[in-house]
Amino acid sequence: MSEKIACTHCHLEFDESVLIQEEIQNKVHYFCCKGCQGVYHLLNDSGLESFYDKAGDTKLAPPLEQFEDASNFDAPAFYEKFVKSTKDGFKQVSLIIEGIHCSACVWLNEKALQKMDGVIEANINFTNNKAIIVWAEDVLKLSEIIMMIRAIGYNAFPYDASIQEVHANAARKDYYQRMIVAIFASMNIMMIAVAQYSGFFTGITQEYKNIFNIAEWVLSTPVLFYSGWIFFRGAYFGLKNKIVNMDLLVSTGATLTYFYSIYITLLELGEAYFDSVSMIITFVLVGKFLEVLSKKSAADTLDIIGKQIPSEVHVLKDEKIISLKLGEVKVGDIVIVSSGEKVLFDGTIIQGDGSFDESNLTGENEPVYKQNGERVISGTVSIDADIHFEVKKDFEHSTLASLVSLLESAINKKPKIEQLANKLSEYFSSVILLVSLVTFVVWYLWPHSFEVAFMVGISVIIIACPCALALATPVATLVGLSLGAKRGILFKEAAQIETMAKATTLVLDKTGTITKGKPEVTSSHNFQDFDISLLLSLVKLSKHPVAQGVLEYLDQKVDAHLVLDTYKQIPAKGIVAEYEGKQVLGGNKKLLDSYEIECKHKSENTLFYFAIDKQVVAIYELQDSIKEDAKQVIESFQSRGIEVVMLTGDNADSAKRVANEVGIETILSEQTPEDKSKYIQRLHDDNKSVVMVGDGVNDILALAHADIGIVMGSGSDIAVDVSDVVLLNDSLQSLEDAFKISRTTFGLIKQNLGISLLYNLITIPLAMGGYIIPLIAAISMSVSSLLVVGNSMRIRLQWMKG
Amino acid sequence: MDSWVIVMMMSASIFLGSIALFGFIWAVRSGQFDDKEKYLNGAKYDGEDELNHAVMLEKKKKKLKENYRPPD
Repeated sequence: MSEKIACTHCHLEFDESVLIQEEIQNKVHYFCCKGCQGVYHLLNDSGLESFYDKAGDTKLAPPLEQFEDASNFDAPAFYEKFVKSTKDGFKQVSLIIEGIHCSACVWLNEKALQKMDGVIEANINFTNNKAIIVWAEDVLKLSEIIMMIRAIGYNAFPYDASIQEVHANAARKDYYQRMIVAIFASMNIMMIAVAQYSGFFTGITQEYKNIFNIAEWVLSTPVLFYSGWIFFRGAYFGLKNKIVNMDLLVSTGATLTYFYSIYITLLELGEAYFDSVSMIITFVLVGKFLEVLSKKSAADTLDIIGKQIPSEVHVLKDEKIISLKLGEVKVGDIVIVSSGEKVLFDGTIIQGDGSFDESNLTGENEPVYKQNGERVISGTVSIDADIHFEVKKDFEHSTLASLVSLLESAINKKPKIEQLANKLSEYFSSVILLVSLVTFVVWYLWPHSFEVAFMVGISVIIIACPCALALATPVATLVGLSLGAKRGILFKEAAQIETMAKATTLVLDKTGTITKGKPEVTSSHNFQDFDISLLLSLVKLSKHPVAQGVLEYLDQKVDAHLVLDTYKQIPAKGIVAEYEGKQVLGGNKKLLDSYEIECKHKSENTLFYFAIDKQVVAIYELQDSIKEDAKQVIESFQSRGIEVVMLTGDNADSAKRVANEVGIETILSEQTPEDKSKYIQRLHDDNKSVVMVGDGVNDILALAHADIGIVMGSGSDIAVDVSDVVLLNDSLQSLEDAFKISRTTFGLIKQNLGISLLYNLITIPLAMGGYIIPLIAAISMSVSSLLVVGNSMRIRLQWMKG
Repeated sequence: MDSWVIVMMMSASIFLGSIALFGFIWAVRSGQFDDKEKYLNGAKYDGEDELNHAVMLEKKKKKLKENYRPPD
């Protein structure tokens, strides 16, 4: 074999013989295709050749040679959806750039776009490959921008940036800034407070006290009015909806304390509470930030689905093939689908035949053979079929479009179980506000001066400061998240841990979840001796899962490659080839029948026959085997009182076989994606909270509808996006771990809430009795928060050991 | 010791601290922490060409903004 040489542009390695050679400036360059050559010249001509120094040896994808027309980017409908106007009147679009491999790619795209006349800004995020481009519309069209991105070997898809993701990021940033200001001020205030407290015990003159008070006043002002703005806003919206929430407690407590302290400072009366003001705000804000941080954005999901649907199809009209946009195809049109393409309409085949991958709808990997007169369904993929079919429904009403719209609504309407802490804080806040009012009135009537009564009333609010309460849930869930992450369980949102702990029903998909999802050889029968490398070379030619299963089984034993002649793949039957004049065939019973070969062997498993010159020489039995730990894990769920249900798109027989083996009693077979989600909604109607585990595109609707959707890490991208929890190592054991972690975490939340309430039970009576001085208030606040954090760390350590 | 010493020390330290705070907040706002990789690579790709390019881009932006007539 000759030496491999890397293509100058994409760095992929090929034999010298297939490469295009070109001498540029006395140096020979090799290119793997015209595309790479074109990009290389383009970069050289526009002075961007330093890209290759920056990219180093990074391998790139060669540029695609065929592109659909970019002019649809200039269509008014597209503009309306994706293009926005900036303040200056320029146009702005958000794109996802495909094909970015390294930082040099980002550099190249940015520079190439920025060099274009009319582009004002081009900013690409390396982490998520999203680009924001601002351009002057009178100089440049959007399609020209897209063409440039394509010309340098990348591709771009638009995405709608107005949805949650952008808002979520902005909110996170906003919280972060407010929190930083609060932390900075609080730390300085605490430093000053140390001086004040020591002065309290050792004696301090009013002069110094004033200096410290004023310094604290200055520092706590931004904390209350900038950082604490979130609580004022929350309290306002709460009151508008007639809810007493924690925000109201925090904001009234902090504001009253603030103004009381100013009053004390100006009249030189006693102790000011500025440190309490900033500490309340800071602690609760940190708790809120942790919550915001662990919220997932559902936005990316829909982008990916949109990206998977091509915008044009080939339609046969007046004996000519033309490209039409999806919306322009009418019922009765003839659409052409070639092998490897996606079927985008529902219709009936009028010409051609072949196998289709329907795993998007059924979850089964076995290809389905279809011929003239049979229905094709949108969303399926042609494996080897070149067909013409008549459209029976327009795109808006097709199976695919209805799946997408169902999914959109499911993501937006996901059920939310109210969290324990939220429920609790509502009661807590009302009670504390009431208690403090009562305390003030009682002290005032007792009789005391207004100042004393007011101070005692406020000290109740300060001491009951819900710092620990606000930290209880976020800290516990963070512990849960990190425990999960160490075991390959990714919870996408912290609140889901609590929801999962309350689950009553576990719904499992069969293929890929309980079973391994691909057929494996369970036994083999050899009738004659034969050259096993012949069979190996034969099955290597097919992508069919059965052939792949046999290949995997054989590959462990032999390593040989023979070149077969006149190879032919027969859809839904098998493969036929010739080797040294002998006819070699491998496939199912139908293949044997059509070649009139007899074989009496029978089995309930999938069979793969291998015949040489009309003689069956070997048979392999294949089965989609069940994951090793399935039975044990399912039993442990059942023993904990969780109802386990199996949903599958597969037929009743094989569903039953698997269910019996692992001990599941409730099974529903031959379920379409919509059936599955309807079943989950029925469970919801019975007041059950449902955890759904799946892996494929056919499960996404159900995953989106369930309270918690769990997906195996090897599942399809969309399924991973829609889900709430991802099990990275595919094992059912980690599903059990996920449940254990969620229950432990929920227990921890309860403990933490208990601690903070108990703490308040002791300290509030003290405050009502008027025994609270600023020092005690500050210490109690820190100690209760430390207790909560410490308790969470204890659980974490326990788990780390166990 | 007069009390003005403590006033001066405290105001000086808080002032210096707040300068650092505002610097940090400015960095957050201008998006320097949005894409860690890119800003780190920015240092790697820095050079004369990049500087020229940035200046050119500024000029171009200014020119486009002056002459811009949004199509109706």
